[in-house]
Amino acid sequence: MSEPPTLHSRRTLALRFDIPISKTSEFWSALKEGRFITTKCAKCGNVSFPPQADCPKCMGSDSEWVELGREATLVTYTRVQITPASFSDRDPYVIAIGELSEGLKVLAWLEGAGEVIRPGMKLRVEARTSGEGNPYYVFVPA
Amino acid sequence: MERVAVVGIGHSKFGRRTDVNIGELAFESIKQAVDDAGVDKKDIGNVVVGSAGGWYEESLPAVVVDEYAGLTGAGTMRVEAACASGSAAVKAAYNSIVSGEVDVAMAVGVEKMTEVDTPTSVELIGRAGSYMWEFENYGMTFPAYYALYAVAHMNKFGTTEEDMSRVSVKAHRYGAMNPLAQFQKEITLEKAMGSQVVSWPLKLYDACPLTDGSAAVVLASESEAKKLTDTPVWIKGVGYSSDTANLSRRNDYVGLEAAVKAAKSAYARAKVSPEDIDVATAHDCFTIAELMAYEDLGFCKKGDAAKMIREGETELGGRIPVNLDGGLKAKGHPIGATGVSMAVEITKQLRGEAGRHQAPIRNGLGLAHNIGGTGHYAYVTIFSRN
Repeated sequence: MSEPPTLHSRRTLALRFDIPISKTSEFWSALKEGRFITTKCAKCGNVSFPPQADCPKCMGSDSEWVELGREATLVTYTRVQITPASFSDRDPYVIAIGELSEGLKVLAWLEGAGEVIRPGMKLRVEARTSGEGNPYYVFVPA
Repeated sequence: MERVAVVGIGHSKFGRRTDVNIGELAFESIKQAVDDAGVDKKDIGNVVVGSAGGWYEESLPAVVVDEYAGLTGAGTMRVEAACASGSAAVKAAYNSIVSGEVDVAMAVGVEKMTEVDTPTSVELIGRAGSYMWEFENYGMTFPAYYALYAVAHMNKFGTTEEDMSRVSVKAHRYGAMNPLAQFQKEITLEKAMGSQVVSWPLKLYDACPLTDGSAAVVLASESEAKKLTDTPVWIKGVGYSSDTANLSRRNDYVGLEAAVKAAKSAYARAKVSPEDIDVATAHDCFTIAELMAYEDLGFCKKGDAAKMIREGETELGGRIPVNLDGGLKAKGHPIGATGVSMAVEITKQLRGEAGRHQAPIRNGLGLAHNIGGTGHYAYVTIFSRN
């Protein structure tokens, strides 16, 4: 069946965002030095991950940076075979959610785990630098 | 509180609709709904358009849709609640009547997802969460989000890949009976199990397709409804809730908390229990989502969803038939249209107009469970003949 007549519009729209990170820049600079930190509300003590300057619990805006433990337990995972367009140059990757000893959960890639992955396995958070030079974090088997 | 009824329904053919633009596609449903209601379109005081948008050329779909159908001048807005945008539109239209602002309102759901290439659509849906923390560095995809839930559910309750494939086989069985469905062919369990892995453990046949489509409902106040129709279908209760953008901030991955809260509040507002429901639609964007819905809606105990699908309890003739229109999996899932399509399906069922896939109606009660994102938004709507 042939396609009905269509206007192939040439008015392309490329979107590339400049994302403000001034309120979490300390997290990214610490990560570059291999440290894994997050925000703690100075008023109510609530610890958030991902870090955020304003407390979602008491709405206080006075936060401090605290060190997070690196040990985690695997809660769940998936192996992504069909990747999004902007990740199409990558091999399939494993995305995992791990729970830190503080009870906070983190979503990140799980690297170097091979074929044997199971909920409950012990993980460790490690810092990485992307091809574009940006810091990020991953899980590796502990 | 003013009672509100569905008095007119319209539904386009779902699928790859390269023959129509967004206004023309919405018109197909709007025209049917207006004719079905027998209402003068000048009397529609509020038109709410559910559409997630971003994959078609128009930035302001509500005014484009309204102009094309000659509805300009009515109150209007586009609402977004991801894949629950359609139910959000129904709720907004319903609220405008409950509040006494208007007597007749319309909810239109419309989406055109195939005007951009498939990788771009996949990219846009993958960003539907916390972009900065879960997409930028990790390339989440929509199947990946639900796969995280599937693995947790399998690990905790022993749900299997085969159980998920059974949901897909059921969807295609009823899709084959629905002339408006994107896929109208039955499939075997072997075919579903053998399909390509998208994000393990989810395979191609665990996932809904990219779809173009529209649906519309005309809603009316009690006095107007009684003038317009002998078969009003009343909206008895709308429940809604939400959950965190970051999946990492959820308590667990074996059910959708927002859906549980939405269901509880819908049952309370409608003053009914899960066992009273005759027929339901559940948001099966992925097969695991339908299984979790059985549990989140209280159709079975937590962890018993696999047993329900194995024993055929959600088939036509079963204890509580679910997705007799083929569901998102076989009927198709035009994001913003889906919630309105569910309202259309439940109205047809309660009117006794569902044809080959008509469920037996005992209590006159139907339920629509519509989820946006990965449980980011949840709407549960209960409909009644009485």
